Amino acid sequence: MNRRLYLIGALLLLAFAGFSLASFRDTLTPYVTYQEARAANRVVQVAGALQKGSSAYQMANGSLLFTLRDPKTSDLVRVRYHGLRPANFEDAISIVAIGRFDPRAQEFAANKLLVKCPSKYQGTEVEKTYS
Amino acid sequence: MDYVTHLYLPGALALWCALAFALSCLWGYSMVLRGDATALVFARRAYGFYALAVGLAAVLLILLLVLRDFRIDYVFHYSGLDLPMHYQFASFWAGQQGSFMIWLVWGSLLGLLLQRTAGKSEPAVMGIYILTLLGLIFILVRQSPFAMRLDAPLDGQGLNPLLQDDWMVIHPPIMFVGFALSAIPFSFAMASLWTRRFDGWAARAFPWALGGFLVLGTAILMGGYWAYKTLGWGGYWGWDPVENASFIPFLFGTVLIHGLHLERTRGRYRRANYVLATLMFMSVLYGTFLTRSGVLADFSVHSFVDLGLSGWLVGILGTFFLLASYLLATRLRQVPTRPNEDPLLSRGTFMVLATITLLVSALVILAGTSAPLLTRFMASPGQVGPSFYNRVNLPIALLVALLLALVPYLTWRGETVRTVARKLLWPGIFALAVTVGAAVWRIDQPLHLVFLFLAAMALASNLMKTWEKGRAGGLAAAGGYLAHVGVGVILIGILASSGYDRSAKVTLVQGVPQQVGDASLTFIRFIPRHGRQKECMEVEVVRHGERFRVYPKMFINSRTRQLMVNPDIRSFALMDFYVSPLEYDPGQPRLELAQGESGAIGQTRVRFVRFDLQAEGNALVQMAAGQTVTVGAVLEVTQNGQTAGVRPLYRLNPADGRVDTPPLRLPGGGAVRVAGINASSGKVLLDLGGVANPAHLALDVTSKPLISMVWGGLYVVLAGGILATLNRLRQVRKLDSLGRLE
Repeated sequence: MNRRLYLIGALLLLAFAGFSLASFRDTLTPYVTYQEARAANRVVQVAGALQKGSSAYQMANGSLLFTLRDPKTSDLVRVRYHGLRPANFEDAISIVAIGRFDPRAQEFAANKLLVKCPSKYQGTEVEKTYS
Repeated sequence: MDYVTHLYLPGALALWCALAFALSCLWGYSMVLRGDATALVFARRAYGFYALAVGLAAVLLILLLVLRDFRIDYVFHYSGLDLPMHYQFASFWAGQQGSFMIWLVWGSLLGLLLQRTAGKSEPAVMGIYILTLLGLIFILVRQSPFAMRLDAPLDGQGLNPLLQDDWMVIHPPIMFVGFALSAIPFSFAMASLWTRRFDGWAARAFPWALGGFLVLGTAILMGGYWAYKTLGWGGYWGWDPVENASFIPFLFGTVLIHGLHLERTRGRYRRANYVLATLMFMSVLYGTFLTRSGVLADFSVHSFVDLGLSGWLVGILGTFFLLASYLLATRLRQVPTRPNEDPLLSRGTFMVLATITLLVSALVILAGTSAPLLTRFMASPGQVGPSFYNRVNLPIALLVALLLALVPYLTWRGETVRTVARKLLWPGIFALAVTVGAAVWRIDQPLHLVFLFLAAMALASNLMKTWEKGRAGGLAAAGGYLAHVGVGVILIGILASSGYDRSAKVTLVQGVPQQVGDASLTFIRFIPRHGRQKECMEVEVVRHGERFRVYPKMFINSRTRQLMVNPDIRSFALMDFYVSPLEYDPGQPRLELAQGESGAIGQTRVRFVRFDLQAEGNALVQMAAGQTVTVGAVLEVTQNGQTAGVRPLYRLNPADGRVDTPPLRLPGGGAVRVAGINASSGKVLLDLGGVANPAHLALDVTSKPLISMVWGGLYVVLAGGILATLNRLRQVRKLDSLGRLE
């Protein structure tokens, strides 16, 4: 009796471990280059510097549009983000956008932004945005 | 930091003294452990001096901040002349070094208490505990908050405006009390293994573990509430690595207090508790390493920049890992245990199940938070988002709710299915009523309904049990049930507020009502800054016949030039009305006109006739004398077929470059202001506010049902935790007075 219960418990734990692993793989958002992001048909994250003067907020559909520039390859990508403009967006040294590339609009549709501010605020809370 | 060359001597000296006293205290206690009882007085005195030195260092840092001594690099980075006094304390723990400092201060103070209450286990427990403090001292000696700059700046860089909030003044120090507390059950566990006295530690460590659970819970509640009311994305929890770094120890702490409860009442979990106490403490260290070493720099908004501490943090983590592994591996098998004789349907079995469930949850969250490290060696390292945590924790939350509902009506000796079912009749009926009500309201997913049913049953059965206990005069022992009532309340609050919130993005035109869901919103006006009141938007809401105004803030921080946004929340009993500004367009069109030229905005025509150089005395004379120069713009404004002459002024103070351009009301509505003058081309730039192009305000409007249950439930959990802590403290005192504890 007892041995069978332990077996059931172990099997349940094993099943949950498998479920967690599958969830982990499904929701993992890898860091990729813009080139890879364009080809990837999944949620990824890209990082870059904000192209000065490229950001515009479109009142009509409530989205923030801006261009990210890869400091290494100078590759550019247009990013569209629905949501709050992060507090220190304009003077961020680096912006990480999490989302997927929309091939029709030729834009990276971000659903979360991480904004890295200049090092003067090393390690303080910044802005979080989710949608 | 190559521009930092030397240290502020008194501060550095205090830290070095603390190091020396801590080491001598450690030596003293080790002598006691070797049998030299006279060394105890020496060790205690050394600890007293050590605590004094740490206190002195902290007081010095506060003093330097209050005096705004910007020669100190830390003060320069986190303070400024315009920072109000009470935020100087927030500056203390705003940066890496200061936050390690506050951790050390709490740890040292708790040590004074621990020393006096540890009884016979004092030498071993304090020995281990001082080891944990030494790690912090090494870090502070290596990365001193007392580093001085070569230059002496006149002003500092100021504190991050988001941290200038009362909740943020108290949230971090409370979190560090929790971190410091987590070291105490660990010290008891390791000391017990070290001295092979396996009996008394659980009783003594129990109130400390409960205290750690309580304080971490309070700090998490505060952080969540701050995020909810300040950041504007409408949530309170984002599964960010820094949030997880406090939540994982909290979960391990929760498992530990249940394990200790099992040990104290049933003699079970005697070996597991050593591992649990280790996990709680190690997860604090590991979380500190993840968030402070820079390994997550690309993955978290909060992560601290690497200050070259990675090596030290890995070293400390490794040292305690090796120490704990060694003791657990060699001594754990010597701990006597009792075979499991609990029947299946008994409280013992179900509490074991609950601890395993929570343990699994903590481990999965730990794995998710470590994703950037785990995938570091893959082609493209990545992280997991909130969806991972939500997905894996849903089945766990279901199971937790089920166990919570059953546990109060299970006894240690075991029950039959029939008796349990009979006792659960009333909670079951209540839960069914809630579920039916929710289904009628809006909840449509079957899994959510099951979840709600279990959570409501957990709430009801624990509430009944608390009530029964309270009536029988045993409220002191009902802390656990009360805390479980709170968990039931929280689970319902989370489901309703996160799963069934309604959000809309709207753009309002000034003065025009617009329907958003069940509310009608009108953007009334932009309210400029006055005094300490920041710029905000006035929005009128009419909802179910009730009329109220909300004032979301939107302002430019004067120091950093950042656009800051704060939501405004109107709380009702059943929901929160959450309004977050997205963008504001003042709608002021500009006209640039040369002399004699005309332009039009909407129905308003403006002709620029000429400059008036005699507006307030002769402008050329003023210019030559270096006084304030005033130039008028002679305009003819035609509105509704009526033409009027207006003369807005432009004042320039050449001494400080300050420009003063008062807006002038137009007879037909709106106002005109000289925005600029181009002397070389003879053109004038005019701002016409409120004439034709109205102001726009884009808002995110969210209704969050039952979110007050999240906060309210947490308060209930904390109240239950306080009851339980007091109860366990009383038991330790009693056992102590009877001389029954090590």
